[in-house]
Amino acid sequence: MSDLMRTYPVLNVKSHSPVMKSFYFRQPVPDIQPGRFFNVWLPGVDEKPFSVSDVYQGIMEITVKAVGPFTRKMMDVRRGDLLGLRGPFGRGFSHHQHALLVGGGMGVVPLRYLARQLRQRGFHFEVLLGGRCGQDIPFQNDFSEWAPTTFVTDDGSLGYKGLVADYMQDKIRESRLSFVYSSGPEAMLVKVMDLAAQAGLDYEISFERYMKCGIGICGQCVVDGSGIRLCKEGPVLTRQEAEKVSEWGLPHRDATGRRNNS
Amino acid sequence: MDKLLKTSFLGKTYPSPLVLASGVLGLTADSMKRVLDAGAGAVTTKSFGLEPRKGHPCPAILPFDGGLINAVGLSNPGVDEMVKEIRKLREQAGSSSGIFASVFGRTHEEFGEVTRRAVEFEPNLIEVNVSCPNVSSEFGTPFGANEMDVEHITRIVKKAAGSIPVSIKLTIHCPSLIRMAKICEENGADAITAINTVGPGMLIDTGVMKPVLANTVGGVSGPAIFPLALKAVYEICGNTRLPVIGTGGVRTADEALQMIMAGARMVSIGSGVYYGDIELFTRINRDLRSWMKERDIKNLKEFRGVVHE
Repeated sequence: MSDLMRTYPVLNVKSHSPVMKSFYFRQPVPDIQPGRFFNVWLPGVDEKPFSVSDVYQGIMEITVKAVGPFTRKMMDVRRGDLLGLRGPFGRGFSHHQHALLVGGGMGVVPLRYLARQLRQRGFHFEVLLGGRCGQDIPFQNDFSEWAPTTFVTDDGSLGYKGLVADYMQDKIRESRLSFVYSSGPEAMLVKVMDLAAQAGLDYEISFERYMKCGIGICGQCVVDGSGIRLCKEGPVLTRQEAEKVSEWGLPHRDATGRRNNS
Repeated sequence: MDKLLKTSFLGKTYPSPLVLASGVLGLTADSMKRVLDAGAGAVTTKSFGLEPRKGHPCPAILPFDGGLINAVGLSNPGVDEMVKEIRKLREQAGSSSGIFASVFGRTHEEFGEVTRRAVEFEPNLIEVNVSCPNVSSEFGTPFGANEMDVEHITRIVKKAAGSIPVSIKLTIHCPSLIRMAKICEENGADAITAINTVGPGMLIDTGVMKPVLANTVGGVSGPAIFPLALKAVYEICGNTRLPVIGTGGVRTADEALQMIMAGARMVSIGSGVYYGDIELFTRINRDLRSWMKERDIKNLKEFRGVVHE
């Protein structure tokens, strides 16, 4: 059973930037759907959920950016080190034709693996990616190679200057796209949901919450308004599911279960 | 209300004998509402104390071949926040919904303080967690292992709870469970919840040669402990007059039936949600109903405690 903790050697490490690295493992289970995630255990430190950035030729890739104590420790992981993996957990993205993939920052990670699968199936899709600066956006070459890709950055260091949401409407109007996938900061996701709904488009969006168990029992990742457990029924939600949730854009619940700043 | 499964417990009637156990999905109103909708007669909140607690780092909950092991470490948002969630649940689920509040304290007095605040939202029951096994480094030996502690806490909580009934959640890790249950009875407890997780136990990853739980040790639950829980319920029901909420490893209607035959008034399910998901409550209700119909049994009373006869 993949729910059980098992350690795997890191086959390779690749640096994307001084604060972002990919770690490669032998694929632990067959058919890992993009958008699903693994709980990664750094022995003696902590365990955190990470979505899969790629599965290719039997190798699974997890991509991590150093933002907190755990992810900073992850930057010291070397080839041959053993990390614990449990998963894949949750529900991922399904496949749709003529889709727009909208990613922000580390949110591009699960979209990269989704893009590989859509391309393998010969589906038409386009990509819109944002970040604070060019260095914030991994896998630029893969996306550009696989689909028409537009970059938008806060500081204008890559592509257009601005926010992805500013360009999304134009993209939908110009390209006759009929479905939206999105993953990234929640402020961006809220806008993406609004814009997609205005344009009458269905979507699937990947959300993040504090998680403890990954197996649907601790209740830590349940979102208000729906009772949806993001570790089990998410992290990817359909438009119908996402519209039931009443807490989008609010501060997330922390490890105690309290909504921060509430 | 379903006539077959209708369960009276401490002056209230519930649509099913099944209860969501404390520690599983008991953090927010929406989460508990889902479990009530799935068919639980009542839900128990996650144990809460006076102040918010982050609990232990992860991994904190792990499946293994025989069940689950957890060292969540009593993480909770604190009584003020929990009262808000429970009020919300009352509004959503209706005034007759079954809500049990699980409380803990760092000291005897704190149990009383938390209970006084918890009764504000009029839960159907205060369940007293004297038996969490994975915070010993901070709290010392669980109070549930010591007769004097259990006696004192029972009295304090009973006084603080006013007209709300009180169930003491016991651990099997005490010199005599029967003696402990009698102490609860003598000191005014209205019910016993038996049992809490067993242990603590531990798991080691042989690859990195380290314990897997961040806390090293944690309470064991799930199928591995079902026979222990069943025997505990049998003993308490045979030696006290207190109604018992039987809990520990129940995953099927057959196991729920065994609990009731041992004397349990209600049957609480926690780790079972991992094995059968939230719909487990629906399935067990359905299977209990068909088991009773096949035997022309009209209500749970007909076979409750039957093995004692």
